[in-house]
Amino acid sequence: MSIKEWINTNESAKEMLERVLTERPFLLLPPLHRVPLRVGNVVEIVGPSPSAKTEILIQAAISCVLPKQWNGVHYGGLERLVMYIDLDCRFDILRLSQSLKLRIMETKRSSDQIDWSREEGLCKYKETKETIADFDEDLFLACMRRFLYVCCYNSFEFLSTLKTLHYQLQKESEAHGVAVHFLMIDSISAFYWIDRASTPLPLGFDKRKSLSLQTVAETVVQEIRKLLQMQPMLVLVTKATLFGDGSLTSNAKRTFRKWHSQDTSYLRTLQLDDQKYLHREYMPSVWQLFITHRILLRVSDEECANAESRSTPIYVSEWLLPSLSFVDKFMVKDAGISMVT
Amino acid sequence: MAPLKSLQREFPIIDCNFQQFCASHGIYSVEDFLVHDLYSLVASAEQQSSSEELREGISQVISIIGSQHQPWSNGVELLGDAQKNKHVLPTGCEGIDMLLQGGLRVGHVTELVGPSPSGKTQVCLQAASNVAVKFMGVVMFLDTCNSFSPRRMACFINQHFNTPVEEVTQKGLKRVMSSILCQSVFDIFSLLDVLRQLELKLQFQVNTGDCKLRLLIIDSISSLITPILGGNGAHGHSLMIFTGFLLKKLAHEYNISVLVTNHMVCGEGGILKPALGESWKSIPHVRLLLSHDRRSNSYNISILKHPVMVSGRAASFTVYG
Repeated sequence: MSIKEWINTNESAKEMLERVLTERPFLLLPPLHRVPLRVGNVVEIVGPSPSAKTEILIQAAISCVLPKQWNGVHYGGLERLVMYIDLDCRFDILRLSQSLKLRIMETKRSSDQIDWSREEGLCKYKETKETIADFDEDLFLACMRRFLYVCCYNSFEFLSTLKTLHYQLQKESEAHGVAVHFLMIDSISAFYWIDRASTPLPLGFDKRKSLSLQTVAETVVQEIRKLLQMQPMLVLVTKATLFGDGSLTSNAKRTFRKWHSQDTSYLRTLQLDDQKYLHREYMPSVWQLFITHRILLRVSDEECANAESRSTPIYVSEWLLPSLSFVDKFMVKDAGISMVT
Repeated sequence: MAPLKSLQREFPIIDCNFQQFCASHGIYSVEDFLVHDLYSLVASAEQQSSSEELREGISQVISIIGSQHQPWSNGVELLGDAQKNKHVLPTGCEGIDMLLQGGLRVGHVTELVGPSPSGKTQVCLQAASNVAVKFMGVVMFLDTCNSFSPRRMACFINQHFNTPVEEVTQKGLKRVMSSILCQSVFDIFSLLDVLRQLELKLQFQVNTGDCKLRLLIIDSISSLITPILGGNGAHGHSLMIFTGFLLKKLAHEYNISVLVTNHMVCGEGGILKPALGESWKSIPHVRLLLSHDRRSNSYNISILKHPVMVSGRAASFTVYG
């Protein structure tokens, strides 16, 4: 290579940006949209039960399995596979299918309205209306097929799944023709107590490692790291706050607020305490060092009264890693997550 | 997990040479394979003289590992299984059935929380009688606090039969009562024993397809677990989580609905909260809060957690008889 070739540019900045953006697209999912997430990131979603952690995973999965375009309607999805490892064994497929159907129908309806306003002539509108039902079913099934699921009842099964995940990934990628974009683990704290109680017995052999909390965490981190090297994915992991939090629980705060509704100064101190919400970290340090992002969720004390006079809980999300100073509020509706300003 | 020696008969590739190679890395059983770095193992196998056979042995063990976990499925298969197997069992209380859009779902672990007395046992008895009469299924009632009352159960069942003829009612009552199995358990270890035996029995029953278990009730599970929680040791929590996973496995794999009851304890600020702590919260699929209004003699039930529906929804119902 001559010196002149070394100085000449390979590509312009515009070309590089085009290449990088198509290979590793950015994702903006509420309420994770404050921080740009790319493949290779490991995001930990922490929160007490219930705080919409699984709901965030479901909405992210829907955004991933939807195609970018289908029959002229723009859905804005990634059309890639999602691998969901359920350690809690509480996943309800009906929630995923209900939410996916609503999202498809809403997108179709809004795009049909645009089409109708453009074209004049009722006959054309009627035609599109009749063919809605057929298209939805095919699209729905194609999306559901891109969602891959396994549930593990103990640490053995979880480690077995991780060890054979590489082969499974290759098989599924070849079968579908698209790569996997998401690896979701719900939730990493499921076997914490069982692993902690299984104290490693001194087996008399120096090299022999037995299954304990430390070795399980090390193996999990090792396997996921290797997997990310071969197939870059975005890893979303949920974690429950097993030890609660140091401050007052939200139930107590709500009652205090009702009792002292006249005393505004007390309310102000409560709000200050809100922002100092901490959670106790219990996972081994090898896991804590592995994650690249962390977001904390909790139920807010305010409730939103909607039309049917039923109060919907409002959730609060706060980024801990990277540490952002403000919090976001969101609600969970049938069709998905919507932010509350 | 099996030690490597015992696999030798079934898989002749795992011979003494392979076992010696593994022992040099501290691997004596399939479980040890799980915590070892397989790539470095393969790399060190390449340096041995019999590298071909060692590599074949390693891939054989990997395929054994692959059969240890549940198979992967996609969304369409899951949906098909949910629509075919995971039906809804009505409890017979209109308020609960309307709130839960049908009743107790098969495959779910449902928890009823409430201070005592708030009608938890009444709801359990009514659900048991409803399932036994309407669905001709077997109900298993694990009683931990002597709350099962055969007379009350017979009372609920008689409400379903409207015939005035005495003999028919007696025969029908006997048939239905014989499909409700009640067993007393007073500590967590006998509970685990009963559940394990149940799992073995269900594994064999899958092929025969005779009168199958539909509903498993544990009233109340908190009285078994609360004595072992507490202190700084992890064993109490570990047993609780282990029991929870066993219940979830029974519910999902064998298409049963599991109903457990929990009591309430005093939390911070004098507010009542469900017992068993934070770690238990992630075990049940559905958590319902029950309370009794003495003035109007009606029960109020609200959703604490549900995978599909928003929490906070409430309903009220009355128990007749």
